[in-house]
Amino acid sequence: MASRQAKRQAITLKGSCALVTEFFKYAVNTILFQREVYPSDDFHMVKKYGQTVLVTQDLALENYLERTGAKYVMLYLYHQAAHDASQTEWLLTGSVTQLVLAIISKDTRTPLERWVFDIKLVEPPADGSGSKEPKPEAEIQSEIRAILKQIISMVTYLPVIQEPTVFNILAYTSESADVPAGEWVDTDPLAIEASKSQQVKMRSFSTDVHRIEAMVAYRYEE
Amino acid sequence: MPPPKTPSNRIRSRSEAKTPLTPSIISGLSNVSLAASPTKKSSRAGGGGGGLKSTPSNTTANPFLTTTQASRSRPSSRAASPQPVGVIRKGGVESRLDVITRDYVPPPKQELKRSRSTPATNRVGIDHRDRFITHRESNTDLAQLASTLDHLSLSSTSNPTSTTSTTNTSTTTSQPTTTQASPGHTARLAAATGLPINRRILGYHEQPPLPSSSHDLTLAQQREYAKPLYAQRPGALPSSTGTTTSKARKIPTQPERVLDAPGMVDDFYLNLLSWSCQNAVAVALETATYVWKADTGTVAQLGEGAPEGSYVSSVDFSNDGAFLGIGLSTGEVELWDTESGQKLRSMTGHNGQVAVLSWNQHILSSGCADGSIWHHDVRVARHKVMELLGHGGEVCGLRWRQDGELLASGGNDNVINIWDGRIGDVGGDARGSAKWTKRNHTAAVKALAWCPWQPSLLASGGGTNDSTINIWNSTTGARLHTLRTPSQITSLHFSPHRKELLSTHGYPTNSIMIHAYPSMERVAEIRDAHESRVLFSCVGPAGDVVCTGAGDENLKFWRVWEVSGEGGATVGKRRGVKGVGVEEGGGRVNSTREGILSIR
Repeated sequence: MASRQAKRQAITLKGSCALVTEFFKYAVNTILFQREVYPSDDFHMVKKYGQTVLVTQDLALENYLERTGAKYVMLYLYHQAAHDASQTEWLLTGSVTQLVLAIISKDTRTPLERWVFDIKLVEPPADGSGSKEPKPEAEIQSEIRAILKQIISMVTYLPVIQEPTVFNILAYTSESADVPAGEWVDTDPLAIEASKSQQVKMRSFSTDVHRIEAMVAYRYEE
Repeated sequence: MPPPKTPSNRIRSRSEAKTPLTPSIISGLSNVSLAASPTKKSSRAGGGGGGLKSTPSNTTANPFLTTTQASRSRPSSRAASPQPVGVIRKGGVESRLDVITRDYVPPPKQELKRSRSTPATNRVGIDHRDRFITHRESNTDLAQLASTLDHLSLSSTSNPTSTTSTTNTSTTTSQPTTTQASPGHTARLAAATGLPINRRILGYHEQPPLPSSSHDLTLAQQREYAKPLYAQRPGALPSSTGTTTSKARKIPTQPERVLDAPGMVDDFYLNLLSWSCQNAVAVALETATYVWKADTGTVAQLGEGAPEGSYVSSVDFSNDGAFLGIGLSTGEVELWDTESGQKLRSMTGHNGQVAVLSWNQHILSSGCADGSIWHHDVRVARHKVMELLGHGGEVCGLRWRQDGELLASGGNDNVINIWDGRIGDVGGDARGSAKWTKRNHTAAVKALAWCPWQPSLLASGGGTNDSTINIWNSTTGARLHTLRTPSQITSLHFSPHRKELLSTHGYPTNSIMIHAYPSMERVAEIRDAHESRVLFSCVGPAGDVVCTGAGDENLKFWRVWEVSGEGGATVGKRRGVKGVGVEEGGGRVNSTREGILSIR
C-alpha cells in the first residue's frame, strides 16, 4: 500500500513540478512586461490558463529564463521531492524554498522591487489516510490565473519606475542543497532597507504537492 | 532567586491594555526594554542579585531567553536550539498577516553582556527595527519575537554565506563579542523571509541579458521611428500643468477660415506657402502656384505652372511683396511679378530640387537638394553671386534675418548653419563660410525663425526623431533654451507683438502650439489643427493670423495673436476679407467653399 501510494504521488509530483515551473515562467514574464524591465514590444501574446499572457520573444531572455527559473528549479524541486517521496515521508525543508525576482536599478544597482515566491511542500494528512481527493487542474489554473491577474493589477499602485532596470533571479535553498558548481553562486539577497520598503502579500496557489505563496516588496520613499 | 514572573506579567498586561491596532510589537519591545532598564531592576529587590550576565535574561523574564542563554554558550550549534526554527516557521509571522512586516529588518543590536544599561539602550534601538501593523498577534508572539531576534543575533555566527549589504548599522556596538559575521544581516534575512537561517541565497552565475534590441541597431532605430506613434497626447505631457497656469490663454481652436488646397504635396521638405506684406498668400499645389489675395478674396494662378514632369517645391514672397520666387523640382528658380502675374525671369543652375527660398532685398537665396545654397541677385544677368556649402543633405530650412545680416539654414543632415549675410561685389564663384555650425538636432531641421524683437535670437526645430526646439543666440553661438515637444516640428514663428513662439507639428498631435518665450512654457495649443501633419505655416502681415497648410489639402487661418489698436489697418483689411466672401463665425462657411472652387 505504502509503495503504491508513493508511486502515485511520484507521478503527481512530476506534474506538480511542471505546473509550478510553468507558472514561474509566466509569472516572471508578466512581471518583466508589466514593470517594463524589457521593452514592451519584445513581448507577444499567448493564450494560457484561459487568459492572455504576454511572453517575451527575445531569444536571449527566453533562454536565460529557461536556464534559470524554469528548468533548473523544476529539476531541483523534482529531485528533491522525489527523494522525499521515496521515503514516504515529507520533509518540510525543500531544497528550493523561495524564488525571488529582484528588479534592480540598472545604474545604481539598488534593488527596487522584490517579487517573492515561497515554495512549500504540502504535507500529506498526518493520519496517513492519504485518500484526499486530488485537486482538479481547473481549480489550480484558476488560482494561477488569479495570481497573474493580481500581478497585472499591482501596476496600478506600485511606484512608477523612472530609471532603466535589470532583474535578477535568486533561489533560496537549504544549506545542504546540492548545487551544481559554477552555475549558481551565493549572492547578495538584494534586500530593500526596511525603512524604505513596503510589502504586499498576494494570492497563493497550491497543487497536491506544492504550495506557492507570492508577495511583493517595493521601495517606497516618501 | 525568585521566579522572575513580575516583569513578564507586566509586559503582558500592558500589551493587553493597548488597543489591538496600536503598533503592538513596538510597544511590546519597548516594554521589554523598559523592563530591562536598571531602574526597574533596582525597584525589584530580589531580582538584582544575579550576576551581570544573567541579569538581562532574568529581567525580561522570558522563558525563551533562557534558551538564548543556553545557545550562547555554544553559538554554532543550531540543532541544539529548536527555538529559532520554530519561531521562524511561525514567522511566517508575516505570512499569516494580511498586512506584512517590512521586507527587511535592520540588524538587531547585538546583545551585550557587559552592563545592565547597555542592553536597555540597545533595545530602545530595536524599536526602530520594524513596524508591524497587526491585530492578530498575541503577546506571547511579541515576547517570542523579541527573544528570537536577540537570539538570532547571537546564534548566527556560524553562517559564513551572509554577505555584507548597506545597512544602517549606526549602533554603538563597539563591544567585542563573539559574533562577528554580520549577525544582523542573517537575522534580518531570517525575519524578513521567514526562512530558517542556514539557507543559501543563490543567484545564477550569469546576469540576465540586456534587451536584444540594444544589440540590434536596426530594431532600435525602428523603435525610435515608431516612438511618435506611441507618443502621449500633449495633454498628458509632464509639462501640461504649465497650460493651466496664469500663462494659459484662450485662443480660438477653430480656424477663422478654411481654404481648400487640392493637390497640396504632403512633403516635409518642401516650403509651399508664403504670405506677403501686401496680404497675398501664395500656395503651390503640385505644378501650379496660386496667389490668394486676402483683401479681395480673389485667386489667381501664376502662369501655366511648372513644366511637365516637375512640380513646384518652394515659394517665397520678396520683402516688399511685389515679387514671388518659385523654386522647382528641376532646380530652376523663377521670379514672378505678383501684380501683373508675369514671369520675369528664370534662374537656372541648381542640380536638384529647390526646396526652400528666402529673400533679402534683391538677393533671393535658394536651398538645393544637393546641400548647396545659392544667392541669386535677381537684378543682374549673372544671377548667382555666391554659393554657400555647408550641408551634407538637402537644405530644407532657410531664413534671412530681417536686417539681412545673417542667414540661417537647416538641412536634412541635421545641421544648422548661420551664415554671414554680407555679399559685397563678388563673383559667382565666391564661397561663403558659416559663422556657426550647430549639430545638436538629431533630425532634419526645417523649422527656423528669427526673432523680430531680439535680433540675435534664432529658433530651430527638428524633425520626427528630434522634436526639439532650440533657441540660439546667434551672436555668441550659445544655445539658450531647449524644449522637447511631442512630435516633429514643421515650422516656427515668433510673434511680432508678443514674446511668444508658435510651432506647428506633425503626427501624432498635428497641432499648433504657442510657447512663451523665455520660460518656454506652453501658452496654448490647438490639437489636430489639420487632419494630417501641419506642414507649412506663415504669419500674416499684421502678425495676428497664422495660415497653415497640410497634407489634408486645406489651408486654415487661425487668429492666434489678437492684436489690439495699432494693427487697425490690417484689421480693416481682414474685415474687408470677410465683407467679400465669408460670413462671420469661424469654421467652414459656404463662401469659403466658393473660395475653394475658385482656387483651382
